[in-house]
Amino acid sequence: MSYEVMVGNKATAVGCKLARIKVAAVFPITPQTTITEYLSEIHASGELPGFEFINAEGELSSQVIVQAAEAVGARSFTCTSGPGLLYMHHPMQETASKRLPLVMAVVHRGVKSMQPDHSDLMSQQWQGWLHIYVENAQEILDTTVMAYKIAEDKRIRLPVAVGYDGYVLSYTAEPVEIPAQEDVDAFLPPYKPMPSILPDQVDPKTFGAGWGEGDPMKPWQMHHEAALNGETVIKEVFAEWGKKFGRTYGNGMIEPYRVEGADCVITAMGTIAGTAMAAIDRLWTDGKKVGLVKIRSFLPFPRKDFQEIAKGVGAIGVFDRSCQPGMWGPVYHQMRSTLYDEEKKTPVIGFIGGLSGKEVRVEDMMKIGEKTLKVAEGGKPEAPIQWV
Amino acid sequence: MHGRGGQGAVTASRIIATAAYEEGKYSQAIPMYGTERRGAPLTAYVRIDKVRVRERELVHNPNYSLCFDPLIGLQQAVANDLKPGGKVLLNAPYAPEKSELAGDIEIATVDATSIALETLGRPITNTALLGAFSKATGVVSLESIEKAIKKYFPGRLGDMNIAAVRKSYEKVSPWVPAKNKVAPKIQVDLNVGGYGTLKDVSSWRVFYPEVNEEKCIGCKSCWIFCPEAALEWKANNKPAMIDRACKGCGVCANECPVKAIEMKRVAGA
Amino acid sequence: MSASQRMTRAQVPMEEMILAPGSTCQGCGAAMAARLTFKVLGSNLIRHGIPCCPDQVTKHPRVGAVFEGGGASLTGTARGLKAIGREDVKAVAFFGDGGTYDIGLQGLSAAAERNENILVITKDNEAYMNTGGQRSGGTPKYAETTTNPVGPNSRGKGEPKKNIPMIFAAHYVPYIATASVAFPEDLMQKVKYAKDIIGFRLILIQAPCPVGWRFDPAKTIELARAGVQSGMWPLYEIENGTAFKLNYKPKELKPVSEYLKPQSRFRHMTETEVNEVQTNVTTNWQRLLKADEMKTVVL
Repeated sequence: MSYEVMVGNKATAVGCKLARIKVAAVFPITPQTTITEYLSEIHASGELPGFEFINAEGELSSQVIVQAAEAVGARSFTCTSGPGLLYMHHPMQETASKRLPLVMAVVHRGVKSMQPDHSDLMSQQWQGWLHIYVENAQEILDTTVMAYKIAEDKRIRLPVAVGYDGYVLSYTAEPVEIPAQEDVDAFLPPYKPMPSILPDQVDPKTFGAGWGEGDPMKPWQMHHEAALNGETVIKEVFAEWGKKFGRTYGNGMIEPYRVEGADCVITAMGTIAGTAMAAIDRLWTDGKKVGLVKIRSFLPFPRKDFQEIAKGVGAIGVFDRSCQPGMWGPVYHQMRSTLYDEEKKTPVIGFIGGLSGKEVRVEDMMKIGEKTLKVAEGGKPEAPIQWV
Repeated sequence: MHGRGGQGAVTASRIIATAAYEEGKYSQAIPMYGTERRGAPLTAYVRIDKVRVRERELVHNPNYSLCFDPLIGLQQAVANDLKPGGKVLLNAPYAPEKSELAGDIEIATVDATSIALETLGRPITNTALLGAFSKATGVVSLESIEKAIKKYFPGRLGDMNIAAVRKSYEKVSPWVPAKNKVAPKIQVDLNVGGYGTLKDVSSWRVFYPEVNEEKCIGCKSCWIFCPEAALEWKANNKPAMIDRACKGCGVCANECPVKAIEMKRVAGA
Repeated sequence: MSASQRMTRAQVPMEEMILAPGSTCQGCGAAMAARLTFKVLGSNLIRHGIPCCPDQVTKHPRVGAVFEGGGASLTGTARGLKAIGREDVKAVAFFGDGGTYDIGLQGLSAAAERNENILVITKDNEAYMNTGGQRSGGTPKYAETTTNPVGPNSRGKGEPKKNIPMIFAAHYVPYIATASVAFPEDLMQKVKYAKDIIGFRLILIQAPCPVGWRFDPAKTIELARAGVQSGMWPLYEIENGTAFKLNYKPKELKPVSEYLKPQSRFRHMTETEVNEVQTNVTTNWQRLLKADEMKTVVL
């Protein structure tokens, strides 16, 4: 096993190479441009035989290029940030509707600034993709490979977005262990399109199929079920990775940190979860039993996990690194909807912070933990949702 | 309301809706959404009520079915799914006793095509059928139809349309129950909009190509220019129309260098 | 050039690759273009489509993409096929003028610039016909469409038609050609010739539209022929942005009025306006003759 101190963006490129991607179509935008450059170097070096690398003229075309490549049977990759993701909005939905197991890195860049927050990927909740948020460079590499296994599972066959924060993760270097290619090959079998559209393999009955035949509700139901299957498959794939490569990330859907014995928990996604872990440690030292649940899979949302966790804690403090104007934070809403029917009423309070790259420090997370603890102890929150 | 793309069935539905509103009733006119293709059958719907109409689904079980096109009026589909005792009004040059439409329905006819040709100089039958509708059903009065027409066709055009309306008001036949109560199993599909390959477009034809094999020199011009490959090329080196595929566009006849193809009017058109 | 694929009427393949009848209007030029095009491409291809009129369904697997995604979708297929070792399968597009001239121009230009190994066939009916006939970059000057109707303040479209063949030829791609449904053998020769060239190829076929251009559907071919014979739709080929060949050179061009008059979309035109069009066509024709003489274009 080798390792390298590498930036988050490079971990993405290395993950792609290990996954033996066949086609990548990319376009520059800060803070993910260096992924495109690493991929171009992989191409130029010839170290990934048969790799087709396309410099697209824009992100929308990038998405369509890899969508078509997946359809024809080539494992493909693209990446973008912020406005580039918004530009992909139109075809991005088709990748999911066509049930293509593409993997895309979204290096968070908020929609109101170049600095990170989760508004870019959150604005695409409706596209029918699976959304995984990661916290450090090792997790980027591991998750990029696993994302293909998840996406290509026949119970899913949906594209997966792997989101991570720009600058603080894309450009920060950390030690990353690089698994051996043969081990990854054993873990991730080659991609087979379902169905094949090659002329000598396609079913001729599909020619001339009329538009809009059959119950229009059915494709939505099938798509919805497949997305929900994400929970089962994510847990399986991450468990397998843990066994094979010795690294686990909770159960794949969530990563609990010092939740056992805690009086309350706070939740966070992305790099802020790392900051939160540091805060948790300090809180426990001060005798404040606050746990952290790092949410990895936002979609599908870890409903079962949180319904279980809620049974044992007095309150949940949700940290959202995005705010939908007029509607507050998406994780907050998912959490409350998840727990609404539970017998035990667990208070859920919300915190919105880190928008447009505003730094969230250990002290801030400690305060969030303390406020949540107060509610767990029977106090009233200052407000149902607070701006950090 | 059944017609062909380009014949004004949608306008007719709006005129009826307007006429109803003139009488203090509420109304709604719905076109069949989907791509409208010139010559292809299409359907429009109207609802009339004493209170404001709120539902927006298509009219699946109408009280009345109007058909603007004589050929489409031969298709059982225009008489399907009516409420029991429903009424079908056809633009047809024959008496209702001659109609083969079946079901628990009554049929009336008026030769709206001839009326339109007399009064408007063109075979556009949408307004010409509305007078007959008023007389035969009493759903809206002649006066209201005329007021509505003036809204859609101002000036002299409006007057001409009103002449058509008045004539069809006079000439519509009485209602006659259908000869057969049981509808035939084999029916032509009238919903032919959208994309994809269609099963049978014979209902699109007002004209069909008649080949004079003696004149034909076997040059294949007709065959190669047909947009639907609706001419088969026979073993004797002559073309023949493929019934389910020919839309009657007339390109083959137009291109034949020796005029061996003539576009003949379909019977009943 | 496609002369190497010369085809006579007797040699036109009898096999139909279309699944007819389709859902197009009577006399549809695009349906004719599809029928002829796919007669000579065989079955080992993946057909690409984006929003446009339905023309004809063919016996090929079909990939759809968003309207502006034509060039990108072809790129993905071609590169994907290469990556999985199936370059025997061709990536072929059958697009309309909207997806080529306007919303699709960026993606196709980029694909051309990268010289992607794709065959783009565009049926040009000179407006956004599928949505009811709104103007496009392919609409000729003075044509009336639903979004530039004639009125006291408008003479129909005020701008000339985009010169798409020359625009793409200026990307120095292996093959660009124009074709017409009224010259079926010429059309099929060109498609057959383009089929096995590696790199970006574009064939632009004029597809007269009876509903949008407002003429009797029986006259589709007659009008397409008049378009070519009047010089309004010249037939030519350009290779690598340099070599040029004019395919149809009558001794004398027919007057443009023969082409314009039967179409109601032009019926409002004054004599002055018709003369303007005639002058432009004549001037352009002289340029094409010159290029043909020199066997080259300057781009």
